This record gives sequence, structure tokens and C-alpha cells, in this order.
Amino acid sequence: MNDRDFMIGSGIFTLIFLGYWFFGAPYFIVERFVMFLAIIVFSGILIFNTRKAQRGEEIFLRTIPGLKAVEEAVGRSTEMGKPVLFVPGISDMDQVETVAGVIVLSHVSKMTARYETPLNVPVCRAIVMKAAREACKESYLVEGRPDMFHEDMVHYVTDEQFAYAAGVNGIMVREKPAACIYMGKFYAESLILAETGNSIGAIQIAGTASQSQIPFFVTACDYTLIGEEFFAASAYLSDKPELVGAVKGQDLIKVIILALTIGGVFMRILFDAGILDLNILNILTVR
Amino acid sequence: MLWKRQIPIMIVSGIGFATLLGWFIDQPTFKSFVDDDATQWFDILAAFAIFLGGLNLFKLQMQKILRKKKGWQYSLFAIGGLIFALLAGFVIKGNPEAAWGSHVTAKGTLFKWMFNYMVAPMQATMFALLAFYVASASYRAFRIRNFEATLLLSSGIIIMIGRVPLGSYISSWFILYLLVLIGGIVVNSFFKNKQYTAIFVGAGIILVSVAGNSMGWPLDEPGIFYLPYLQEWIYRYPNSAGSRSIMIGIGLGIFGTSIRYILGIERSYIGE
Repeated sequence: MNDRDFMIGSGIFTLIFLGYWFFGAPYFIVERFVMFLAIIVFSGILIFNTRKAQRGEEIFLRTIPGLKAVEEAVGRSTEMGKPVLFVPGISDMDQVETVAGVIVLSHVSKMTARYETPLNVPVCRAIVMKAAREACKESYLVEGRPDMFHEDMVHYVTDEQFAYAAGVNGIMVREKPAACIYMGKFYAESLILAETGNSIGAIQIAGTASQSQIPFFVTACDYTLIGEEFFAASAYLSDKPELVGAVKGQDLIKVIILALTIGGVFMRILFDAGILDLNILNILTVR
Repeated sequence: MLWKRQIPIMIVSGIGFATLLGWFIDQPTFKSFVDDDATQWFDILAAFAIFLGGLNLFKLQMQKILRKKKGWQYSLFAIGGLIFALLAGFVIKGNPEAAWGSHVTAKGTLFKWMFNYMVAPMQATMFALLAFYVASASYRAFRIRNFEATLLLSSGIIIMIGRVPLGSYISSWFILYLLVLIGGIVVNSFFKNKQYTAIFVGAGIILVSVAGNSMGWPLDEPGIFYLPYLQEWIYRYPNSAGSRSIMIGIGLGIFGTSIRYILGIERSYIGE
């Protein structure tokens, strides 16, 4: 789809929606219009930046030490002749963090295929096992090393949280991997895993969007991807223009949100002082 | 190519769009699909996938035992546990009065016994280990290495003491005297002059004593130095501000990732 087609498509979509709105917007939850509008605008910004990047415009992506360290960690494992342990969290594929973790796994497995380093991926959910296996298989194929891939490098342990933690700890203590990478959704087991990894002297990189687990990872791991850094991992590791463009779009959205927050605070102050008649919270509150 | 590339992308985009629209469209059939059917489909898929998981576990552990790999003895326990759980779940009820299905929660059944006396204690053991890991991690985090670590240590101490009953008995004047002494350390390390330090500490003690005397030494005044108030302030403002900024980043990251999936920009999941 070229730019012209894209603009025509967007125009048609806008016209259809305006028509739908004009005829009373049946079934549409009008109270959520602001949120709908925000999604459309933010998606537009993401697509705009993606297309800009695809056209060849250079986009600067700041260095994320945690992601830069992934290659170092795999390299270290190769030098030491030890495996890389990748833990994709304990949630299922219905969690976006797990999906993001599996995406990072596909990049890590490309590196392990390139360096001929053993990879061990114990998983907590059977669906994650299938998805992770497919991701690894494709990566080994892309790197031209399908012979190195074996299905059991991604293996199921258990669905139970602490039993899984015990299982992964056992693997760590027995196999002593040189690098432990934790990317996904974690709960209380995060510290148990990270501290065990620390005790065996492995280089540890973690990435999660589970806010309550971030401090544990920061304390026990060498590098931690906090919040959106974790979701930008795929763009950073693949260096694909369309993904890098989307990350730039996210940054622009952040600027808009910041402006909205500051503007909202001022408008609310004016409303409380009786100068302004419009309560901004009524508009921005999600119903 | 069509089956490996286009169709998976179409399924992801279609379901993604439908789920997103489900938040804005109040049409009963559509809503019930998004809220109930789609999640049930996932549950059904997950239920079938567990067979794959179980088989994989069995295969790997058996391989370990048969090939006498390092630590193969542990695999005996894994296989034994798997077989025992299957027997308790599908073959031996233990309590004839309990119906199949509800026997997993009914009293006196083998499954319930296994859960109460094997699974729960083992889980509790793992969870209890967390306390020791928290201690060792806290030790590392609270070591004074730089300004940030010192800040973390001080806020940690204030939060910990301010949240326990003992904290409410510590007078804000005691904290003020403590601050004067800490200030003395800072002055001494900065100027390296005993006279300056003595003047600072002496003046500080006199000032605090005069102020305390005039105010009648109330326990919780000035409020800014009363630990329960101070910890509440740290918890509510600097802590909330930091965690909200992370939350916004996480939210945006989730939004960006979801949109990339829905629009088919992100295709790493099919190996591209």
C-alpha cells in the first residue's frame, strides 16, 4: 500500500464513521467516544511514523543498555561453553508481556543459532511452549542452522507458579547457564529466579511490565528493561524501520500525553477557582 | 506461504480489531463473542494444549532417566508426581460419596489430600524462601554506593519505621536532633574544621531545644519530621509520581505493541 492508497483508505474510513455518527451511531457507546478518538489519533501517529521510517527517514533510537547486553550475554555464554536460559514469564499468550517476551526470544534464538550456543527455554504454559517453539524454529531456519534446532530446547515444566520457580531454579543450579534472560509477565517468583541466577554468577537481563516486580529485578539483575523499554525490545533488536518508526510514534504520543496532563491540571485548577466552566475530568475520565 | 504468513496475520488482525471494537460497541451478540466466546475459545485451546505440555514433560523426564543424565534421580520424583496426580484426578477418588469432577475439592478424596498435604506445603515452602531472598536482595540494594542508593536507603528506613507502631512513638524532635547531628557530619566532612562543626551542632541543638520548649514538645509537630506523616508523604507523592510514569510507559508500550499486531506491522511471531 503506497501513501496515496493509505490516505484514500483513511479518508473512506473517516467518511464511513461520520456517516455512521450522522445516523445516530447505533450500538456505539457514546460515553467512550474520547477514548475511541484517542485510539484513532494515536494509531494514526504510529502509522504515520512507521510509514516515514519505511520511506527511509533516519530515526534515532537511544541506546538501551539492557538490550545491548543481550548480545554480550549470548557471547559470554558462547565463550564459556554454557547455555543461555530464557524464561518467558509465567502467564499465557493472552498477556501482551508474554507475547513481547516470545518476540524477544525469537531474536535471542537468532543469536544463539549464529553463535552455536545451547538455548534452554523452560515454559509455564503449554500454548507458550508451542509459540516459543515456533519462534525458535523460525529463527534457526532464518539463520541457516535448522540442524541446531531441537524441539526440546523449549520445554514445558508446570502451570503452577512456585513449582515452576522450583523447576527453573533446579535447572539453573544444575546446568549453571552463563546468561539468564527473563522477559515476560512475572509475579512473586521473580525474585526467587533472579536471586538464584545471581548466586550462580550468571549475567542476568530482565524485562517486564509487572510494575511490582521491577524493583526485584533491578536489585538482582545486571540489566532491567523497565516499562516501555521492554516493548521496544523487538524494534531495537530487529532494527526494522517499521518497528523503529512505531517506537518513535510512541515517544510522540508520550509528549502529547504529557501536554494533556499539564493542560488538564491547569484546566482543573481554573475550574476549581471558578474561572472556567468546563470540568476537564468529565471529558477525560474513561467510563 | 499463504498458510504460514497471510492467514495467521489475518486471524490476528481480525480478532484484534474485534476485541478492540468490543469496548465501544454495545451489540449483545458482538459483545458476548468478545467477552465470553473468544475467551472460552482460548480456554479450550489451552485445555488441549496441556496434553502437549504433559507429554513433553513426561518425554523429557523419561529421557533423563533412561539416559541416566546428570540429576536423573530428580526425574523419578517428577514422573512419580505426574502419575500420582493423574491417578488421583482420574482413577482413584478415595471418597466414594464424592462425585467425579467435584472430587477435586471434596473432603476425604485422594486429590484433596494430595493438594492439602503435598502441593500446598511445597508451594508454601517456595513462597517462604522469598523472605530470605528479599533479605539478601535488600542488603545489596541498600548498600551505600552512590547518591541514589543513599536516597533509597533513607526512604526505605523512613517507610519501614514509619509504618510500624514504634514509628508513631518517635518524636519529631528526636528526628530533628538526629538531623542536626547528621548535618554536623556533613559540615565536618565538607570543611574539615572542628570549630565549624562544633558551632553548627551547638547552634542546631540550641535552636531545636528552644523551638521544642516554646511549642511544648508535641510528638507529631512539626509534621514534616514526624515519621508516620513523612512516610505517608513519600508513599503518596514521590513514589506515586515515579510509579505512574512507569505505568504510563507500560500502558503506551502495551498500546503500541497491540496496534503493531493488529495492523500487521509486527510479524516476529511468525518468524519474520
